[in-house]
Amino acid sequence: MSSHSNPNLLLLGVNHTTAPVEVRERLAIPSDRLADATRTLAHQPGVREALILSTCNRVELLTVHESNAGHAAVSPSGSAAPGTEMLRFLQDYLDVRVTDIQPHVYEFRERDAIRHLFRVASSLDSMVIGEPQILGQVKQSWSVAREVGAIKSTEATGSTGAFSSVLDPLLQRAFSVAKRVRTETQIGSTTVSIASVASELARKIFGSLAGKTVLIVGAGKMSDLTARHLIQQGATTLLVSNRTEAGAEAIADSLRTPAITTGVIPFEQLHEQSFRADIIITGTGAAGHVFLPEQARTLLQRRRNRPVFFIDIAVPRDVDPAVNSVEGCFVYNIDDLQQVAAQNQSARSREAETAESIVSREVARYTERLAQAPATEVIKQLLQDAETTRLAELNRLAAHQALTPEQFAAIDRLTKSLTAKLLHPQIAALRDSRSTTGSED
Amino acid sequence: MSLLWLRVAVVLYGIAALAVLPAALYDRPRWRHIAVPAALAGVFFHFVSIVETLAAAHRALPVDTHETLSWLGLLLVVAFLLLAARAHTVSFGIFLLPVAALLAIVPAFHPGHETLAYPQLRTGWLLLHIALLLAAYAALFISLIASLLYLIQERRLKQKLSAPASRLPPLETLDQIALKALLFGLPCMTAGLLIGSVVALETMGPAFFADPKVLLSVAMWIIYMLMIFIRRHRGLRGRRAVYWSGFVFLGVLAVWAANSLSAVHRFKTP
Repeated sequence: MSSHSNPNLLLLGVNHTTAPVEVRERLAIPSDRLADATRTLAHQPGVREALILSTCNRVELLTVHESNAGHAAVSPSGSAAPGTEMLRFLQDYLDVRVTDIQPHVYEFRERDAIRHLFRVASSLDSMVIGEPQILGQVKQSWSVAREVGAIKSTEATGSTGAFSSVLDPLLQRAFSVAKRVRTETQIGSTTVSIASVASELARKIFGSLAGKTVLIVGAGKMSDLTARHLIQQGATTLLVSNRTEAGAEAIADSLRTPAITTGVIPFEQLHEQSFRADIIITGTGAAGHVFLPEQARTLLQRRRNRPVFFIDIAVPRDVDPAVNSVEGCFVYNIDDLQQVAAQNQSARSREAETAESIVSREVARYTERLAQAPATEVIKQLLQDAETTRLAELNRLAAHQALTPEQFAAIDRLTKSLTAKLLHPQIAALRDSRSTTGSED
Repeated sequence: MSLLWLRVAVVLYGIAALAVLPAALYDRPRWRHIAVPAALAGVFFHFVSIVETLAAAHRALPVDTHETLSWLGLLLVVAFLLLAARAHTVSFGIFLLPVAALLAIVPAFHPGHETLAYPQLRTGWLLLHIALLLAAYAALFISLIASLLYLIQERRLKQKLSAPASRLPPLETLDQIALKALLFGLPCMTAGLLIGSVVALETMGPAFFADPKVLLSVAMWIIYMLMIFIRRHRGLRGRRAVYWSGFVFLGVLAVWAANSLSAVHRFKTP
């Protein structure tokens, strides 16, 4: 490291557990301003590297400070008020008062910051544990920070001799920890939202949803969300039936994309036409059942017994529970879906314990390697100086004495061996001292 | 030596049959990495054993029931591997692998020493007859298992249960496997029966067609065809598909059992 001061790692932020949405939305940095915000943060006094992670559930600033500057910035009076400069950055950049956000802010330093980052990337700190989007969001922030020069890439710093990047290897390690957590645990193998549970169940019935037809009966936010999920999973035809045709048209329009075919079924023809749908989402708000077992049997006959999946999110229910007894009909109401989601959530929590131990091990391994890094640099320099001196002396000798190739080779071997033996105690002492410092840290 | 290879194959099938349980039933997909290689290695040793046995006996055909069943076992494991590769499911192994191990275990530990009663039967046509019919039986067995798995998955979805059995393939995949297996089995059975009839007519004359085994085989072929017709035109699925497949499978067992009643369909020396 050409800069001989020790950099300080600081992570400061708010998330869904510490701040209400009113605070989070004031701190959120839109993706089109992320590059500018990261650049501005990186140019704050004493900041060497910076990264901003801004999602709907968290805003976090990860910075590396120059040793002295960092202390001065985070603890100006020697009291426990670190991160002042970062808070000031938020105040200036986002026009929010420090006093408004300070009670919600958490901060982590060094090892704790590493642990927090690993947990965030592995989706252990997410609102929905195990959700996969967060890793992509961290990668996106890392990519933006590299683009604007707020994080120096490891390769570049190695070749130019500038200070070694702290954040680049740390982020890369965080990605591999997240990957390890995902492959070694089942944390992301189940779905936990109502819409995704419905979509997962549809896949258990139909396999791929490609080419499948979804029928929405009635209007509602949940129906809309579930239909969108099914379309994302490959459903290609969307039919809508509503008491008012204009309402049905409006729903179809709101969900229409170039990739899907949409159509409207008049409500009075619902039972004659519903055989066309593989998945029927109902949310009418009708007082009685819209689908009865007899109608379900007729529907199945017209489908030549191909299965049909009813997602009944209406309260009171639209589909008679007895329809589930009809062979080939699968009925899930809102409680059933919530129950599956809860089971999946508890399975995720169990897996999260395994994931936490993976993260702990990885944090220990990474901090140990970090503690060794400065010693490695010094050792490398020591060996290089010794080798330069040895070669200079060897060449000086060869210039003054007529040596045979065998004699030259023998002296070369001897000096190499001597150098190694003389340096060994110093190298060992350096390694020991760094390990002790690292473990004390 | 061939016996040793067959015993190794049986042990490997046993390992695969055990490893497939956590992979298919308890949401532990890593066990698949034991089940599939073990089954693959088992197929290799099983095949080597069959080739060595036939080479040593200077014949190309299995002569007794145990030997023929061992061939059927090999086909079932091959089918399991094909399903694992194409349909990405090892669930079929729950049934196929133990059955294959059982079919191979008798010839592995209690081998027969029979020879062919009719040396003139050493023909490629007869070998084709046996291979095609065994393939048809294997296809029927797979169709039966697919229908059974369909029933399990259907019940699970209706009762709103999560794991175990969460690794079972989707209903539509199972239905397609069941139908495709039948569609594959029908031409195999038809060609197998035709080849057998022509060879029998040439060697034994028209008396062969009055044999109970032959009559049962024809009846089974008709039911097999009827089942495919109903499946395709009425969308037969679920419980009724299991009943039909089970019925045809019983027909196959009856045809096997009819060997003891058959006066002409015997190829080993008395």
